[in-house]
Amino acid sequence: MTDVASRSHGENATPPAGVEAPAIEARDLVKTFGSIRAVDGVSIELRPGRIYGLLGPNGSGKTTLIRLLVGLARPTSGEARLLGRPVPSRELLARVGYMTQADGIYPELSVWENIRFFAALYGSFDRLRLVDTLRVVGLADRVDTPALQLSGGMRRRLSLACALVHQPPIVVLDEPTVGIDPALRVQFWRHFRSLSAAGATLLVSSHVMDEADRCDELLFILAGRIFARGTSAELRQRAGTANLEEAYLRFSGDGGDGDPRLLGDGPRAGHGPADGGPRPDDGPTGSVAGGGAE
Amino acid sequence: MNPRRVAAVVRRIVAQFRRDRRTLALIFVVPIVIAALLGWVLRDQQTVPVRLGVVNEAGPVGQRIADALLAAGSAHGADSGSSVRVPSSTISESTARSELRNDQLDVVLVIPADAAAGVTSGHGVHLVVITQGANAPTEGGEIAQVQQLLVGAIPTIIPGSPGLPTIQHETVFGAANADLFDALSPFFIGFFVYFLVFILTGISFLRERVGGTLERLLATPVTKGEIVLGYTLGFGIFATLQVIVLMAAMLIRIDVPAMGPFGAFVLGLAVPSVGSPWIAFLIAMLLAIGAVSLGIFISTFARTEFQILQFIPIVIVPQALLSGIFWRIDTLPALLQPVARALPLTYAADGLREVMIQGSGWSAPGVQLDLAVLTAVAALFVVLAAATIRREVA
Repeated sequence: MTDVASRSHGENATPPAGVEAPAIEARDLVKTFGSIRAVDGVSIELRPGRIYGLLGPNGSGKTTLIRLLVGLARPTSGEARLLGRPVPSRELLARVGYMTQADGIYPELSVWENIRFFAALYGSFDRLRLVDTLRVVGLADRVDTPALQLSGGMRRRLSLACALVHQPPIVVLDEPTVGIDPALRVQFWRHFRSLSAAGATLLVSSHVMDEADRCDELLFILAGRIFARGTSAELRQRAGTANLEEAYLRFSGDGGDGDPRLLGDGPRAGHGPADGGPRPDDGPTGSVAGGGAE
Repeated sequence: MNPRRVAAVVRRIVAQFRRDRRTLALIFVVPIVIAALLGWVLRDQQTVPVRLGVVNEAGPVGQRIADALLAAGSAHGADSGSSVRVPSSTISESTARSELRNDQLDVVLVIPADAAAGVTSGHGVHLVVITQGANAPTEGGEIAQVQQLLVGAIPTIIPGSPGLPTIQHETVFGAANADLFDALSPFFIGFFVYFLVFILTGISFLRERVGGTLERLLATPVTKGEIVLGYTLGFGIFATLQVIVLMAAMLIRIDVPAMGPFGAFVLGLAVPSVGSPWIAFLIAMLLAIGAVSLGIFISTFARTEFQILQFIPIVIVPQALLSGIFWRIDTLPALLQPVARALPLTYAADGLREVMIQGSGWSAPGVQLDLAVLTAVAALFVVLAAATIRREVA
């Protein structure tokens, strides 16, 4: 599993973490739909070789932010850069693996036809590489099965394979583990880890907090704003809470008493985009969230 | 434009169709079945004799007219194709009207009282026909048959009269005995291709939009142009096969001799066509290319497959009605004429008819205009289709 990833990422990967340029960058990204500010001033810098978790409830702007970063949508203002180059750019798309929330595969086509199709669009025609990718997601013995006849988890795996077939240095996964069983979730994360170990940058969105512990760093998003950022331990410590869910609620300007705003588009709670990583001098109550704490 | 990416899109579309037997049947079998059905209906129509009632109010002169009609009716026989069943006795007008109402008669001929004076004075005779008034076109045909019978009876009614001159019909194109199906068949070829390609592309592309595969496609380096071209070529393969199959079914005539228990029969619809099948094929293909892009364009405005079907009465039916096949364009209301002249199906119908029935070639200005308009329309739809595929990078 790991050997495939490391071999493949060798040519594309940016040098290991340290002083290198960010793989994914955003500066003051804003996207409005009518009067709704779906993404509201996001500035981030994500370094290569790490797994970033984008956490927030449904409707918090995760998918819109991802589409802006990949270059599928044009920001109302602000700028995004991948590997140092501005998006949108068609050449950059060849270096990004994007797994959408929907499976995005053709149900009539077989596993092989699906992956071969996406591989061809990415300009990769190496059969061995396709077989390797399918092996990684455990579908190598299903090549002739029509996608329609796959189980939900298998379809999800095929969808992941289609996003990784060109071995991109940047991998963006929009809720990749929704609706899959725990065993498969463990497999997915093991694979994500092997990709990052090989130098790829992963941005994984989720609204499930228990996945967050597997990420190197977390970005909390609500109402289109990144309002807290750090490792899982840091965030819990700063919030003074035992688990991330409570930390999220604390940072989002809520005492953690189960305010329903987590379920929908609550009023914007954070104050400005979190511009940097964790700040050691932040108090345990989390001054990143600011005014929320009395 | 990367040919390998275009090829990947084409190959994917072909693979999807190969898996879908029912759609394949829709493409290849259904048009032939419908064409055969239409050919059968339009060519082997039963001739139902017109049931005529005669009301005589003109005494002996009227009786002479009635007798002459009877004689002409029985002499006419089945050979002329038209048949009028003339009654041997006359009836009163009130009886005639009630029999019309009860559908026992089709046409009633009333010989009014002043007819006698008309015959003797030579000023002509004024007759009245009464029909049900439920189906104007059919009744018009029936009246024409009665009129024809009357013309044939003139020498008997007015002794010594030479009767009216007879007319022989010749044509410069096709055969004088060409039937309605022969006239419609070029249009059918164009219409089927247009209709099916539009529906299939519309639904296929809608599925891409709804199923999330379009979002996925757009996250790859593929260009909008490559997607539209791939779709055009992929569906073009099926449109090509469909046109070939349909044209073969329409034009071919294979006489299968009687074998064993089976009687002799004819395979194919044997539509007489004089023109180049290549030009006819090109016209149908240009129409199909336009239909692919039209389907992609329309899929933007639908959320479900059912909503794609809703575009049939909006997009397809008016085009067929105004195409000049059912009513000549210069007989349309003045406001509709420019509309009809803006629709691609009009030019395809005109071009196919010119080529297949009139035998026009590349040099005919009408054919050149049709080809030019169809090319322009296809190009316009390609641009529109590409514009509906939203992405921030081309």
